[in-house]
Amino acid sequence: MWQRVLEIIRKELRQTLREPRMRGLLLGPPIIQMLIFGYAVNLDVEHVKIGWMDMNRGTESREVRKRFSSTRYFTIAAEAGNEREAQDLLDRGTVQAVIRIPAGFEADIKHARQTEMQILLDGSNSNTASIIANYATAIVARRNQELFAEQQKAKLVGRTQNGPVLLRIPGIHTERRVWFNPELLSRNYFVPGVIVNIIMLVTLSLTSMSIVREKEIGTMEQIMVTPITPIELMLGKTIPFAVIGFLDTALVVAIALFVFHVPFRGSFLTLIGASALFLLTTLGAGLFISTISETQQQAMMATFFFFQPAFMLSGFTFPIRNMPEMVQYLTYLNPLRYFMTVVRGVFLKGSGADVLWPQLGLLAVFGVVILLSSAMRFHKRLD
Amino acid sequence: MPPDNGNAVVVEHLYKRFGSFVAVDDVSLSVGKGEIFGFLGPNGAGKSTTIRILCGLLAPSSGRASVRGFDVATQPEQVKRSIGYMSQRFSLYGDLTVEENINFFAGVYGVAAERRDERKAYVMQMAGLENELKRMTHLLAGGWKQRLALGCAVLHEPPIVFLDEPTSGVDPIARRQFWDLIYAMAERGTTVFVSTHYMDEAEYCHRLALMYRGRVIALGAPAELKSGFGEGATMDDVFIASIEREEALEK
Amino acid sequence: MKWRRFYAIFRKEGLHITRDWRSLWMALAMPLLLLLLFGYALTLDVDQIPTVVYDQDQTPQSRELIARLSGSRYFQIVERRGDYAGIIRRFDRSTALLGVVIPSEFGRNLAANEDVAVQLLLDGSDSNTASIAAGYAEALIMAYSAELRQEQMMRRGAGKLKQPIDPRVRVLYNNEMKSRNFIIPGLIAVILMIIASMLTSLTVAREWENGTMEQLLSTPVRPTELLMGKLCAYFVLGMTDMAIALVVGVGVFGVPLRGSPLLLIGASALFLFGALCWGIFLSTVMRSQELAYQISLLSSFLPAFLLSGFIFAIENMPLVIQQVTRIVPARYFVSILQGIFMKGVGFTVLWTKFLFLFIYAALIFTLANRKMRQKMA
Repeated sequence: MWQRVLEIIRKELRQTLREPRMRGLLLGPPIIQMLIFGYAVNLDVEHVKIGWMDMNRGTESREVRKRFSSTRYFTIAAEAGNEREAQDLLDRGTVQAVIRIPAGFEADIKHARQTEMQILLDGSNSNTASIIANYATAIVARRNQELFAEQQKAKLVGRTQNGPVLLRIPGIHTERRVWFNPELLSRNYFVPGVIVNIIMLVTLSLTSMSIVREKEIGTMEQIMVTPITPIELMLGKTIPFAVIGFLDTALVVAIALFVFHVPFRGSFLTLIGASALFLLTTLGAGLFISTISETQQQAMMATFFFFQPAFMLSGFTFPIRNMPEMVQYLTYLNPLRYFMTVVRGVFLKGSGADVLWPQLGLLAVFGVVILLSSAMRFHKRLD
Repeated sequence: MPPDNGNAVVVEHLYKRFGSFVAVDDVSLSVGKGEIFGFLGPNGAGKSTTIRILCGLLAPSSGRASVRGFDVATQPEQVKRSIGYMSQRFSLYGDLTVEENINFFAGVYGVAAERRDERKAYVMQMAGLENELKRMTHLLAGGWKQRLALGCAVLHEPPIVFLDEPTSGVDPIARRQFWDLIYAMAERGTTVFVSTHYMDEAEYCHRLALMYRGRVIALGAPAELKSGFGEGATMDDVFIASIEREEALEK
Repeated sequence: MKWRRFYAIFRKEGLHITRDWRSLWMALAMPLLLLLLFGYALTLDVDQIPTVVYDQDQTPQSRELIARLSGSRYFQIVERRGDYAGIIRRFDRSTALLGVVIPSEFGRNLAANEDVAVQLLLDGSDSNTASIAAGYAEALIMAYSAELRQEQMMRRGAGKLKQPIDPRVRVLYNNEMKSRNFIIPGLIAVILMIIASMLTSLTVAREWENGTMEQLLSTPVRPTELLMGKLCAYFVLGMTDMAIALVVGVGVFGVPLRGSPLLLIGASALFLFGALCWGIFLSTVMRSQELAYQISLLSSFLPAFLLSGFIFAIENMPLVIQQVTRIVPARYFVSILQGIFMKGVGFTVLWTKFLFLFIYAALIFTLANRKMRQKMA
């Protein structure tokens, strides 16, 4: 039996690795994805371009302006002289917010009257908009504290034996301590997730495509009339891609560690074990897709159709916590979710099987179930 | 440009190399108008390659060939307008119906609007598929597919047709019927250039060329070629003898 | 170019598309699937952050702060009696992202007019949420701090005072601050890219693989006719998908469309055309379907998804990548989409982006045409 399986494995590997373009395909996409996700995708909000509309132009307003331009959160990219210009800046997307200082700003402050400052916000991207509003109001709050202290100096002089002394007004400030990813680098969060993506994509598409391609060109028929059993055919069609999957994983992990310096605090054994369990799922899914597709085009579309949502709902970029409840329950059926947790845990938190055993267990269960049900559909007939 | 001496196809010292492999090795021949010219030889002899060159699908490495007076290397588009081609691999669209395939090729070959219905009817009758208009092409049996492919190749009444192993994989009766069609076409003046590896089909041709390893090792009418082999000689005998002679020469 | 031949190719392609019902229904269901995902399930908004509170002080002041935290929609207090070890454990298991530690001298210091520090412990593995969570927490604590100061002032007889500067935030374009109003317009670009690049990348390669290309090559069909025939057939499919996305986005999800629908359709047609040409170009060059598909995923879908500004703001990317996005057509289309949907702006504002799309389409069409000619010669 193993003789026949080996024959198929040999053929598959030869076919896949023969064409240089195919070889490039096994290396190219993983590397490119790693690079994009490692360098490009960044959700931190910094250097936000804002417009400045100062109708007052006094020392006070310049002081506030300094506060805004000196922080790394904002960059003053344009000046607006009137409402129309401000609107235009926002319409064109040149800036994401316009700060408007009214004409009576300085006078009001000097006379301890409350004055207004408008923050015109481009609400299109609500995520960044609320963050920008937060940062802006925080800057104003700090300025307020200083102004307050100055304005009320007179009233804060207390009486002691030694003469008048400035009373302190207490304030609360915060200290941050960050676990696992002290510099809060986005890439340490994304890159482990890309590993999941790549394993899934490579093994899923290679497996399903190889089977369907043979169906399409007719060689599958030829194989089916030989004494080979469905199990042997299945093994022959999945093992080579498992091997390639592992190799790609190794490549991607290497890039993560040596190019991006993502910390790896856990054990390689856990990672390898989890990958193997996850492969059961992806190979099974690949088999399944091959049984419902007649042409390569159908296989590709089916792969995309099932894989995209699974990946979106795995917690890669969009936190599961923020999804509607019903969807959150749905994600419990998503093996990618568990593998994502494991990979992130192993890299950043140094988690081992003691913490991750629920995920590992579920991965095993899912993998076996999917593989078995696909195997049952896989038989040696043409219809 | 007038055809060379009234010949439909003229090939002069044609060579075709793929890297170091010589697929067509100094082939020269000519085919007259209305002739059924057969191209015989085992697989890999260079028949398909030669046909492809004549259809303007491949460029010759050296030498010259012309179809109806048009040079295949420099005027391929004019060539394509006046030929019909049936490739070795079945290459109609399996997921289209019989009618849809016919309509498509009618459009693509530019069959004039006035002639369309007539030609369609003709082709359907010729292929025997008048009642199978709506059938999916991939569901047709082998012989019918071939006839449909032939029909699609002649929708535009080309003066010359190139058929690359049109009867491979077809049962003897269907093959016989196919050749009836070819005869009918030739009678009406169409030049037919057909390749085959069935030696018995050689008898059906007016003239033929035997190809072996890219070279033409025998050229002439079947009767001519068989003369000198005695009574009851078949093309098989001629062919094997020619090959043995070639191999002896090589030594 | 002869109309007859073009039309024959166009009809044939149309038949291929409609006959393959599996692919067809997936192609039409794709926009719905993505709309459902992005309009309903996926969001980058950060709230309900699982938080642990470790109150070492247990005074009215500390309890007041905790009440503020629990009352905010940004925080979800999962444990009120935490301790350091417990917080770390929760980080390990990912059951909390934020720990707020109130020191034992909190109330005492405040009463004695001394400064005091609150510790924020963060699970940095999800750095995005961590930064934002920290920002919200700090803002909340600072607001509390400012209030306390005011109370102190009042007690010293400074009278009821207001903040010197009152920041008024006015939100334009998306008053309800719904992330779907922002994501769904950009999603149209992604949808079109998927259909355009995925399906067209297969079409020519498939004919190579099946051998029907050879048959076509022997006919008088010109490369341009073949190109246009295939383009137009998939163009119809793409615009159908766009219509579906538009109707569902506006009709079902209630995304406001403030600009001109005609401009929207024009931009979509332009973008789709360029994307289709690219797919066919790939298909002509790569003779295998699988290769063409993978390259199209890499070169069309991935940039459209990651580098177009549809979800991940381009302004936040490293400068080098920002320059790279300049050659991603989806970037300009997403800009146009967001402008038309949310800001209601017109051609006068968007014309530079239209120009780029036009140039891109013309360029890629020429490229595809040339390649087709080359391969068919």
